[in-house]
Amino acid sequence: MRIVALIILAAIMIAAPSLLGDYQTYLLTLTLIWAILALSMGLVLGFVGQINLGQAAFVAISAYTCSILRQRYGVDFWLAAPVALAAVVIIAALVGLLTLRLKGPFFILVMLAFAEITRLVIANWQDVTNGPLGLKGIMPPEPILGLSFETKRSFYFLALVVLAVCLLALWRLVRSRTGRMLIAVREDELLAEFVGIPVMRSKVIGLCIGAFVAGLGGLLLGPFLSILAPSQFTLFASVDMIVMVVVGGVGTLVGPLIGAVFLVYVPEYLSFTSHFRPAMMGALLIIVTLFAPGGLIGLVGVVRGWLMPTPSKSLDAKGEGDHAG
Amino acid sequence: MLAQQLANGLVLGSIYALSALGFTLIFGAARVVNFAYGELLMLGAFFTLTIMMWSGLPFYAALPVAMVGIAVLSVIMFLLTLRPLLRGAYTSLQGELQVILVTLGLLYILREAAVIIWGTAPRQIDMGVTGIQIVGDVVMTNQRLVVIGVMAVLVLALYWILYRTNIGKALRAIAQNREGALAIGLNTDRIIAFVFAVSGAMACAAGSLLGALYAVEPHMGGAPLLKAFVIVIFGGLGSVPGAIVGGLAIGLIENLAGAYISFAFKDVFTFMLLIGVLLLRPAGLFGRSR
Repeated sequence: MRIVALIILAAIMIAAPSLLGDYQTYLLTLTLIWAILALSMGLVLGFVGQINLGQAAFVAISAYTCSILRQRYGVDFWLAAPVALAAVVIIAALVGLLTLRLKGPFFILVMLAFAEITRLVIANWQDVTNGPLGLKGIMPPEPILGLSFETKRSFYFLALVVLAVCLLALWRLVRSRTGRMLIAVREDELLAEFVGIPVMRSKVIGLCIGAFVAGLGGLLLGPFLSILAPSQFTLFASVDMIVMVVVGGVGTLVGPLIGAVFLVYVPEYLSFTSHFRPAMMGALLIIVTLFAPGGLIGLVGVVRGWLMPTPSKSLDAKGEGDHAG
Repeated sequence: MLAQQLANGLVLGSIYALSALGFTLIFGAARVVNFAYGELLMLGAFFTLTIMMWSGLPFYAALPVAMVGIAVLSVIMFLLTLRPLLRGAYTSLQGELQVILVTLGLLYILREAAVIIWGTAPRQIDMGVTGIQIVGDVVMTNQRLVVIGVMAVLVLALYWILYRTNIGKALRAIAQNREGALAIGLNTDRIIAFVFAVSGAMACAAGSLLGALYAVEPHMGGAPLLKAFVIVIFGGLGSVPGAIVGGLAIGLIENLAGAYISFAFKDVFTFMLLIGVLLLRPAGLFGRSR
């Protein structure tokens, strides 16, 4: 049942750019990139159990490293990308080792400080980053293995493949030993430590994987927008990712994707005037948090519970949604 | 040069301290990290400005009216969005996460409301204070002296409320031990609503002073919010003296670092300081370790 739905969805996504115009393809690509970013936040929020307001900094570091290597040193995209990802993961590991032992509000605030430091360095390190004006004219990735990424359509497929690979990898991860350790730590840190799970190491690994996925999104962001500026990587970029995860459903992998579609594609498609978008996001965040803590996925579970009130089925819907009261 | 920088730092620090006070009070009493706090500052400045424009009242008369207005708004925010969450398991991660998400949502809504109502063009509040004082090498506008004066008055008022009134005592009891306070029959909801009112009034004062020294615009709340984070971590989350000392210290450090090391990177120093304090002494300089 699920496999069939997945195949149909994949077929639709592959056929979409041929059926739709250039603008729709652009919009879908934007949605795909945000879906990758939301997925990275979903991992940290749902499986490490931390609100990470520094996620946008990981995106920025990867996007800037890759684009600076290409523009200033003439490095090929496919060589610059792994370097940028390595840089992000190393920085995430160092930051995580220092900050993940802090709890609750302290972790949130220290990651916010990390994000601000990153943004301020980018904005003020004029010689390398071109300061607040940003990097302009970032080219699409160079051709590789006979594939060219000059057209909008080819870039769409690149983003689609990256998202699909991330999703598959994370799907395997959360079912692996590491994934189960992460969930155990999220549920009860003390108990996890007691049964011999290396708590600190699990959390750092979780943060690093999240940063890696965020970095992948960052790599695509530069060539897609063709411009990078520090103003794209404020606190609100991280909050946008959080909204997507929460609206879609915390603690699931499909949730962030639904959230990205709901908050990037739908408002643009309905051409909501852009200045109402932030207010809408704020209202959605509050409403979902207060009345549907399981997000849209949780609501699906609730509805399924109404339609098929069999006890065996309701086990599926055992998400955060049940703790609404 | 040094004396002038110290004086400037003191003025900036006064406003920082004032903006951090309301933030730290809420955390102390309700364990809420209020991300919408910066927007209350911004709305406070707009309230004061609008009251002055409509009624022609001078700054000192308009400010208290605006403070009442923001206090009411802050209480309404608490009653509508946060009280249902705090009623539940306020100590669990889930509850903590939800509270932060809700205040982040409020941040978006309040900022957009201000953009829609007042537009994005920066304006200034005219305090009606002119002239300068010169003491030795230090030049100080009278306006900045008034800022320090207002901050001192408000801090004294806050101390009076906290240490001389019954509701202040109840408030400190809740901050120290919520279960204990509940057990002896204190109405925690009402007291936390009161904290939100006081916090809103402080935010309004800080925002209005900022608006008089710099500019009033819908995005002005971001920087003081980040500063409030740094200050309360520095002084200890929930600590009132910590917020005052922390505010003054951050104001001084920022001015001195900006003047003698690098102006462009002055904010980086304060955030580095925050991380340093968090790692070495997570409870802050004045906080009790929990």
